[in-house]
Amino acid sequence: MPLAAAAVLRHLLRHPAQLVLALVGLALGVATIAAVDMATASAARAFELSIDAVNGAATHEIVAGPAGIDERWYVALRRARLPIDFAPLVEGYAAIGDRSMQLVGIDPFASPAFDGGAAAPGARAGATELPELSRWLTHSGTVMMAAATAAELHLHAGDSFALEVSGRTQSAEFLAPLGVARPGDAALILTDIAQAQEWLRLTGRLSRIDLRVPAGADGARALARLQNELPAGAEVQAVGSRTRENLDLAATFTVNLQAMSLLALLVGFFLIYSAVSFAVVQRRAIIGVLRALGVTRGEVLATLALEAALIGTVGAALGLLLGVLIGHALVGLVAGTINDLYFVVAVSRVTLPASAVLKSLAAGIGVALIAACIPALEAAGSHPQLGLKRSVLEARATGASRWLLLTSALFASGALAIVCGSTRSLFAGFVALFLLLLAVAALAPAALRAGARAAAHLITGASPIVRLALNDIATSLSRTGVAIAALSLAVCAMIGVSLMVDSFRESLHDWLGRTLRADFYVTAPGPGFARPERRIEKDVVAALLATPGIIAHTESRRVRVESPAFGPVSLDALALAPGSYAGFQLIAGDPADVWGAYERGALVISEPLAWRLKLGVGERLTLTTARGPHAFEIAGVYREYGNDRGTALLTRAVYAAWWQDDALTALGLYLAPQARPAQVMARLNAAAAGRQALMIRSNADVRELSMSIFERTFVITRVLYWLTAGVAALSLVSALVAWELERARELALLRSLGVTPRGIALLIEAQTLFIGVVAWLTALPAGLLTALMLIDVVNRRAFGWQIDLHVHAQAFAAAAAIALSAALVAGLYPAWRSSGAPLAQAIREE
Amino acid sequence: MLRIGDLSRSFREGERVHRVLDHANAAIAAGEVVAIIGRSGSGKSTLLNLISGIDRPDGGTIEFDGRVISALAEPERTLFRRTHVGFVYQLFNLLPTLDVEENVRLVLELNGIHGAAARARSRAALAEVGLAERAHSAVDVLSGGEQQRVAIARALVHEPTLLLADEPTGNLDEDSARDIVPLLRSLAQRRAAALLIVTHDPGLARSADRVLELLDGRLHASAAHEARS
Repeated sequence: MPLAAAAVLRHLLRHPAQLVLALVGLALGVATIAAVDMATASAARAFELSIDAVNGAATHEIVAGPAGIDERWYVALRRARLPIDFAPLVEGYAAIGDRSMQLVGIDPFASPAFDGGAAAPGARAGATELPELSRWLTHSGTVMMAAATAAELHLHAGDSFALEVSGRTQSAEFLAPLGVARPGDAALILTDIAQAQEWLRLTGRLSRIDLRVPAGADGARALARLQNELPAGAEVQAVGSRTRENLDLAATFTVNLQAMSLLALLVGFFLIYSAVSFAVVQRRAIIGVLRALGVTRGEVLATLALEAALIGTVGAALGLLLGVLIGHALVGLVAGTINDLYFVVAVSRVTLPASAVLKSLAAGIGVALIAACIPALEAAGSHPQLGLKRSVLEARATGASRWLLLTSALFASGALAIVCGSTRSLFAGFVALFLLLLAVAALAPAALRAGARAAAHLITGASPIVRLALNDIATSLSRTGVAIAALSLAVCAMIGVSLMVDSFRESLHDWLGRTLRADFYVTAPGPGFARPERRIEKDVVAALLATPGIIAHTESRRVRVESPAFGPVSLDALALAPGSYAGFQLIAGDPADVWGAYERGALVISEPLAWRLKLGVGERLTLTTARGPHAFEIAGVYREYGNDRGTALLTRAVYAAWWQDDALTALGLYLAPQARPAQVMARLNAAAAGRQALMIRSNADVRELSMSIFERTFVITRVLYWLTAGVAALSLVSALVAWELERARELALLRSLGVTPRGIALLIEAQTLFIGVVAWLTALPAGLLTALMLIDVVNRRAFGWQIDLHVHAQAFAAAAAIALSAALVAGLYPAWRSSGAPLAQAIREE
Repeated sequence: MLRIGDLSRSFREGERVHRVLDHANAAIAAGEVVAIIGRSGSGKSTLLNLISGIDRPDGGTIEFDGRVISALAEPERTLFRRTHVGFVYQLFNLLPTLDVEENVRLVLELNGIHGAAARARSRAALAEVGLAERAHSAVDVLSGGEQQRVAIARALVHEPTLLLADEPTGNLDEDSARDIVPLLRSLAQRRAAALLIVTHDPGLARSADRVLELLDGRLHASAAHEARS
C-alpha cells in the first residue's frame, strides 16, 4: 500500500473503538435488509418449490372455479387425441397434528407421462415397486411423503396415522417415501386421486389438469384446439402464472417490510457518517501535512474513498452474517403472517438469494461511500494549511446547520409535492415518507443549537458550569449535529409507526365491533384463507341450525375466484341474517339501493378491492364463473380491514347459481334473547361431535383472535423498529465518544479547577439528556406528520383502506422514554471515560 | 531562481479586510540562505504558503526558475510542491501513523521512487541527520530535536531546489535548536537548494546570508543585518 494511503488508513486501526462503532452501525443496517430479504425470499421460494413439486414438468394447467372441473370432461379430453399430455390433480390442505400439509391426489398412470426427469409426483409415485403400487391402488388411505418428513413425523412404511381434512379425521397409511427427494416435498402428501376426492369431498371433481404442451407451432395449434374444447368456467394458464398471482398477494406486505429495513439502514447511514466524518476530522492534520508534501486532492479523496469502501465491505459482510442469524428468527414470523393472511406456506429451508447478497453488499458499500463523501470532499477540498482550527470547523458546522434548515424545508416541500402530485404510487409514497424523515434529520442540528442557546439565555444567573454545558452543545454541532439528526429521525419514525399501529388497532377494533354481529361463529378448520375444501358438512349445518336457542344465522362461502382482467379475487358469498346488514359500513353507494341491488345479483366490494382494481359503484367486475365469464355490477363499497387484497360480497344464492357450488365455509349464529350462551355453545359442540371437528367461537373469541393476528402481523415491524432504535443509540454513542475525545482537555481543565469526577460525569450525562430531550421535541410534530403519511399515503396506497388517526399520549411517552434512555445510555461510557481520565495527561496531550 | 513580484494577499475577518501582503517583492538565488523576520501576524507564514503553492495570492506573481507558480491551477501547484519544495515546520508535522523511515520515504514514493531505491535513499537521509538507528521507531517516542531531524530528512530526501522552514527551532530547547540550524544549512547547501527560513530567533536570522523583514505587507532588507554585515 502506498505510504500516503497507509498514513491515512492506519488511523482507524489505532482507534479500534471508532472502527468497531462504524462497523456495527453499518452491519446492523445491512443485517436488517438481508434478514428481511432472506425471510421473504425463503417464504416465496418455499411456495414456489411446493408448486413446482406438484407441477413437475407441466407447461400449462387447466383450472376452474372453487367447485373444480368435472372429471367426465377430463375423460372426454383424453379421447380428443390432442398431442398434449394430461395429468388430473385434486389438491387441498390437510393437517397431521399441528403440521399443515399439501394433499395432492394424482393418477399414477397419467402422471408418469410427466416424467420431468423422474421428478414429477406421478413419476415418483409410479417409480415405486409393483407391490407398493398395487397397495396404492387397492388399499384405502395410502399416502406417500418425503422420507425426511416421514422421519420427522416418526412414520415408517405401513404405519397408520390420523389425517385431518377440514375438521374430519381420516385414517391414512404411510405407504413408502417418495422415490426422488426434492426441496418442495417437505409439506407434500401424495395419494391416489380417488382417495383425495373422497377426503376433500370433491367426488367427481378435479382441482386442475396439468398439461405438457409440446414446444413450437404444433404445440400452439394443439393449445388453440384445446381452448375451443374447454368447458365454461375453465381456462388454460401457463404454469407459473398462478404462482406469481399467489406471490403477488403478499407483495405489498414484503414491500412494507423492505421499507422498514431501509429505514434501519438510513439511520445506520448517520452512524457511518458520524464515525467517518469524525475520523476525517481527527486526521485533518495528517491530511494537511500530506497535502503540503504534495499529495493531490484526488489522491486524498481516493484514499478516503478506499477506506470507506473497506469499511463498507467489511461492515456489509458482517451485516450479511448477522442478517442470516436475524433472518432465521424472522422467517417464522414472516411465514406466520403469510399463512394468516395470504397463502399456505411451509418454510423448511432458509435461503439467502444471490440477489439479496449483492443488494446487501451494494447497500453497505454504497452507504459507506456516500457517508464518507461529504467529509472526504471537505477534507480534500480544504486548503492544506495545517492545523485547521476547531473554531473554523464549528463555524462551518453552524453554517451548515443553517443550510440544512433550508434543505429541511425543501425536503418537506418535496414530500408534500410528491404526495399531492401522485395519487396511487406506493413507491412515490415511500419516497415522500423518506423525504419527510430526512427533513426531520436536517432540521435537528439547528433545533439543537437554538434550544441550547435559548436554554443558556434563560438561565443567565445559573451556575457557569451549566451555561458552559449548554454553550458546549450549541458550539459543537460538528459532533452533536449528526447524533441528534440520527436520534430525531429514529424517534420520529418510532412515533409515526406507533401512532399508525395504534390507529390501525383502534380502527380494526371498531370495525370488528361493528361487523361481528352474530353471537357464535362456526368455521371448518384447516390452513389457508378461502380454500374450497374448507366446508361445513350439510348434515352438520342442519344439526347446528336445529340447535335450540339459535334464532337466526348468516351463511358464508369464502372462495377465491378468477377475474380475467385482475387475477384472483376473494369472494364471500353470503346469506345474511336480517341483523347482519348493518354490520357493513358503506362508504360508496346509496344505502337505500345497495342491498336491493345486492339481493338481485350485484356485488358489494370492499374498500381495498375497490382501490386495488380502481372500480367504483356502477362499474362492472368480470369474474370467471362455472358458466363462463360474467360481468357483475358493483352496487356499493364497504369498509374492511380483514383482507388487504379486498373482498367482493355476493348473495349465496347467486354464487351457487353461477359457480355451481353450494358448500358453506362458515356460519354466524344469532342467539335468542333468553338463551344462555354457554349452554348453547355446549349444544352446538354436541351437534357437531362425531361428525366434523369445527371451530365454534364466541363473538368475543373471534374478536380476540382477530386482534391477536393483527398483533402478530406487527411483531416484525416492532423487531425492525427496535433494530432502528439500536442503530440510533449507537450513532449517539459514536458521536458522544468523538465529542468527548475532542474536548478532553476542556474537561480536564474543569477538573483542574476543582470539578469532581462525579461532576464531570453528571455534566456529560446532563448534556446527552438535553440532546435526547431536543431530539424528542423535534420528533413530536414530525412523528405526527409521519403517522399521517403512513396512514393516509403509505397504507392507503399499499392496501387501499382508510384508517382513522387515533392519537394516544402513550406513543409520545414511549418515544420520550426511548430517546432519553438512548441518550442516557449513550452518555454513560463517555462520562465514565472522562471522569476517570488521568488529569495531568489530559492537559499535557493537547 | 525565485522571484516574488508585487505579491498581495488579504484575509477577511468579519467585516474587516486584513491585508497581510501588499505588493511584496523579493528575489532569492539558488543556494542562498534567506531569513524572513517580522512581527507575529505580519504574514511570514502566509508568504511561505504562497511560495509553496499551498495558497494563492490575490495579486502579483511568484516565479520559480522561470515558471510562474502563482498562475498554476491547484493540481499543478501540488505537483510543483511535491517535486521542488521541501518544508520544515515548527511543530514538525510528522505523520504519527508512519514510522520514522516511512515518514521520510513517503516523499520519495510521491515522486515515483519506490522499493529498495527509496528505502536506501531514505536511510541515507536519516543517516545524514544522525538517526539511522531510529529508522523503525514510532515518531511520537522521539524527542523534539529528533523529530525535527526526521522532518529535515523528509524535507531534503527528494533533493528539492527550494527548502522552506517555518520557525524550525520555535518548538525546540536551546541545545536542540543550536544543532538544527547548522544541519539545515549544510544539508541545503550540499544540495545547492535555496533555503528560506521564517524565524523570530535573532541568532538564527544572523546565520542567514540575507535577512528580509516583513513590514506593513512588504519585504525590506533588514537594516540591522545589513549594518552587521
